[in-house]
Amino acid sequence: MTTDELEKLLAVQPVSLLHQLGRGRIPRHFRLGKRRLIEALLRSTATNRAGLESDLLALMKDGDQQQIRPQAQPRTEPASPRRQSVSGKPEPAEPATDLKAFLEGIGVPEPSPFVPDPWQEEALAHLAETDVIVSVPTGSGKTYVAVEATRRAIDAERTVIYTSPLKALSNTKFTEFSKLFGADRVGILTGDRRDNTHAPLLIMTTEILRNLLYDAAGGEIDVRLDTLGLVIMDESQYLADPERGVVWEETIIFCPTQARLLLLSASIGNPQDIAAWLTSIRPTPCHLVRHNRRTVPLRAGYLHPSGKLAPLFRSVGIPHGHASLHQESKRLFSQYEAETLQPRSR
Amino acid sequence: MPPSIHPVDLIAALRQHNLTPAIVFLTSRRACDDAMQAFERDQVALPPARRRNIAATLQELATQYPSIAEHPLVPIVERIGVAAHHAGHLPSWKIAIEELMRQGLLDAVFATTTLAAGVDFPARTVVITQSSVRKTRDFTDLTNSEVQQLAGRAGRRGKDLVGFAVVTPSPYIDLGVITKGLTGQPEPIDSQFSISYSMALNLLKAHPLGQIQSILARSFAQFQLNRRAETLESKLDTLHVQMEPYGPRVCTDWITQWQSFEQARKRKSQRVHPKRQEPPELTSRLHFLTPGRVVGLTRGRGIVLRQYRSRGQKSPMVTVVREAGAVTECPASTVTQVFDRMFDVQEAPAYPWCAPHSLDELTGHLSELPVRLPVLPILVQPEPEEREVALTLTDDFPCPTCSSRPACQKDHATALKLRQDVQRHQKMIHALRTGLWHRFQSRTDVLQQFGYLTPTCQLTADGEWARLIRMDHSLLITELIRAEAFTGVEPHVLAAIMSSISHDNDRPGSFPRMSPGLSTVMWQVRRLAESLAPHEDPPLLRADVAALTERWVSDPNLTWLGLCRTTTMAEGDIYRLLARTLEYLSQLHTLKGTHRGLADTADKAIKNLRRGVLEELP
Repeated sequence: MTTDELEKLLAVQPVSLLHQLGRGRIPRHFRLGKRRLIEALLRSTATNRAGLESDLLALMKDGDQQQIRPQAQPRTEPASPRRQSVSGKPEPAEPATDLKAFLEGIGVPEPSPFVPDPWQEEALAHLAETDVIVSVPTGSGKTYVAVEATRRAIDAERTVIYTSPLKALSNTKFTEFSKLFGADRVGILTGDRRDNTHAPLLIMTTEILRNLLYDAAGGEIDVRLDTLGLVIMDESQYLADPERGVVWEETIIFCPTQARLLLLSASIGNPQDIAAWLTSIRPTPCHLVRHNRRTVPLRAGYLHPSGKLAPLFRSVGIPHGHASLHQESKRLFSQYEAETLQPRSR
Repeated sequence: MPPSIHPVDLIAALRQHNLTPAIVFLTSRRACDDAMQAFERDQVALPPARRRNIAATLQELATQYPSIAEHPLVPIVERIGVAAHHAGHLPSWKIAIEELMRQGLLDAVFATTTLAAGVDFPARTVVITQSSVRKTRDFTDLTNSEVQQLAGRAGRRGKDLVGFAVVTPSPYIDLGVITKGLTGQPEPIDSQFSISYSMALNLLKAHPLGQIQSILARSFAQFQLNRRAETLESKLDTLHVQMEPYGPRVCTDWITQWQSFEQARKRKSQRVHPKRQEPPELTSRLHFLTPGRVVGLTRGRGIVLRQYRSRGQKSPMVTVVREAGAVTECPASTVTQVFDRMFDVQEAPAYPWCAPHSLDELTGHLSELPVRLPVLPILVQPEPEEREVALTLTDDFPCPTCSSRPACQKDHATALKLRQDVQRHQKMIHALRTGLWHRFQSRTDVLQQFGYLTPTCQLTADGEWARLIRMDHSLLITELIRAEAFTGVEPHVLAAIMSSISHDNDRPGSFPRMSPGLSTVMWQVRRLAESLAPHEDPPLLRADVAALTERWVSDPNLTWLGLCRTTTMAEGDIYRLLARTLEYLSQLHTLKGTHRGLADTADKAIKNLRRGVLEELP
């Protein structure tokens, strides 16, 4: 058998068989992908092809006896990448999605009157009595909860403080809220600027609020903390920031008890822990609103450098937990790896 | 095949599938700028109607942020309809790009992953080209949360029915990391609580020392530590259950009793083992073989000159002077009799082991000795037997004769291990419960040492103003103020020092020259920072950023573009540096009650600093 033939023959074998061949021949063969495994096999047995060939034939015979499915046909043909990915395991019952289904439904939704989601209503309802943590995916409408909660608190003649981690974000929110509530009702406090500090809605970075709370505890109040009714902390996943996370903790610890806390956070792994913590240090039990459903559904695709697009997963949407890749993108990616790795290995 | 898709082809492919506008996440600022240049080289051009829309929007924004109007990238963005967005740009420019994107006027934005955090900036499609990000020193894999933050930018509420996260391979990609990130659960977050000096001062200002521990106990850090302590406690409970069969026996603390018994037995047997095999007669005789003693040997008599032990065997030896003045060495066992007669010997440390005249005298004495001499009666002590060891152990320990001895012997190993586990768990639980408090105490110790706190943890006069400095490296800044390093300095020097303290990024920049006045103060700051290193990590104190700030503050005619031309730092970085310096200066300004001069200087520096681009944003 020539090297070329051998390589082709190896290419159509299942990976498990190649790993069996690799045992004792290649150190750490289990770390390699199929393509590189074959290369390593050929390289390591360059002086002793016969041994590899006899082992390969023996293993193939074993395989044939175990599974009735004859493998004679693919073996004689040159390796085709498609067969390579199909021959491995039996097909799952559900057929994989195709590109057409994947790309279906792109477009702009019909303008419809805004109807709040049930979770938004839930958060607002609970905020009347307790602290609330909202942990939902990016872009699912946390701002609506913040705006509506602010409106209700202002109507009840309470002061609202809205904190964000970044000055840039504070500025965006200042502009946004000024449009919503009127410029005279929104104030901003940053490290070096104080505007309209007696407005019912104050926007600041979390550090500023922390400093205010310290000053208040030390007896030097300069903002209306006694009428404070609501503290909204946006992006509260910053609690885990290595440098600044401590500020969020300090703020929550010293937040006046008469004010409600509304923590808005992206999806995090353990919002229930934070809720339990708040329940343990605040006068009222904290309510947690969390879900992983996105308002706009998300799909994942794979774009090959050649410009070819394929779905990344077998299902249209993004599955949860175990992911099975779409065979097309799997094939394209292994092709990409093979092509980009070749110059390095030879 | 190129290692990754060309940006122009990428956008063309996306547009073909109707997947624009898109955000393309690239590994570096450089890659983002290069992608933009690729569009310019390819002479991609937008239809005139869209160009006009972009220009109109930018003009509108320029009324609020004048720096947008003269931004060098404006014509390019108008022509090609894509833009780069990263931390190297000015905030106003980033706002402009975000606004263009929000209105759907751009096809794509090339961004670094820093965009993912915080900015409300969605698109129909997100393109991911990397599976790792640069963090401080090296590249680390994206976490599930980070991948989801990136992908989450896809799909605009109210503008898209579906969003797309498109993965395209590049040399920086591991498909496994991304698929895991897309499908997996986001990671749980952990508290990063740390106690700074200013936190300790502020806590002690507002609350008496007795309450601090309960305040620290309310932190998320302590909450999570308590969680861990609780799991340990439940383990401890099971350990206690396992310990039950090994409760009190004949003696209450039988484990310790048995352990010390075991140790004593081992010690005894060790002491017995290497014992020299000397007969008791010899041992008892050794005390009498002192220099000057007359002894009987197997042949003749002699006078002992010294007693010693042989080199290898360590068996007892004597040196004797015999008839005719012969000095010989012989084993002590050859001594047959010890006579009751002694002569004075003047000893010497070397051969012949006594003074020469003494040797002559002894030889004389020896020849004059009578034939019969009284023999010294020597009491031979019987050797202490093994029996005796057992007896002493029985005296100290009841174990050898105890009725529960077999049970103790059998269970001891298990019980001891369990007890050690219990003690280990108890120690760990204690550490988890009190760790924060101890960290607080170590902070207050330092503050007391430097005189910010009285020994009873009240704020001193220095502590009262020092607590207002609430930023990183607060100890360095307050110590500088106390050392009067800032007395009479120019506003631009103060601003420069503050900016070099605040800047903690080691991204390289070029080196504009510092003024001599600044370098003197800088030298002082460096020295102080080094001396404070055991208590507070010293800042980088880069001279180049200090010089940059100095230039901006000292020369009011310097334009922003002129400033950017003096350095290789990106203008976004310069902006952040100056904005941070402003914050530090405004904290110094709060000290106006106690440090009038310093606060005035800081105020002047702030006024000089806040101009041009820095005035645009509130």
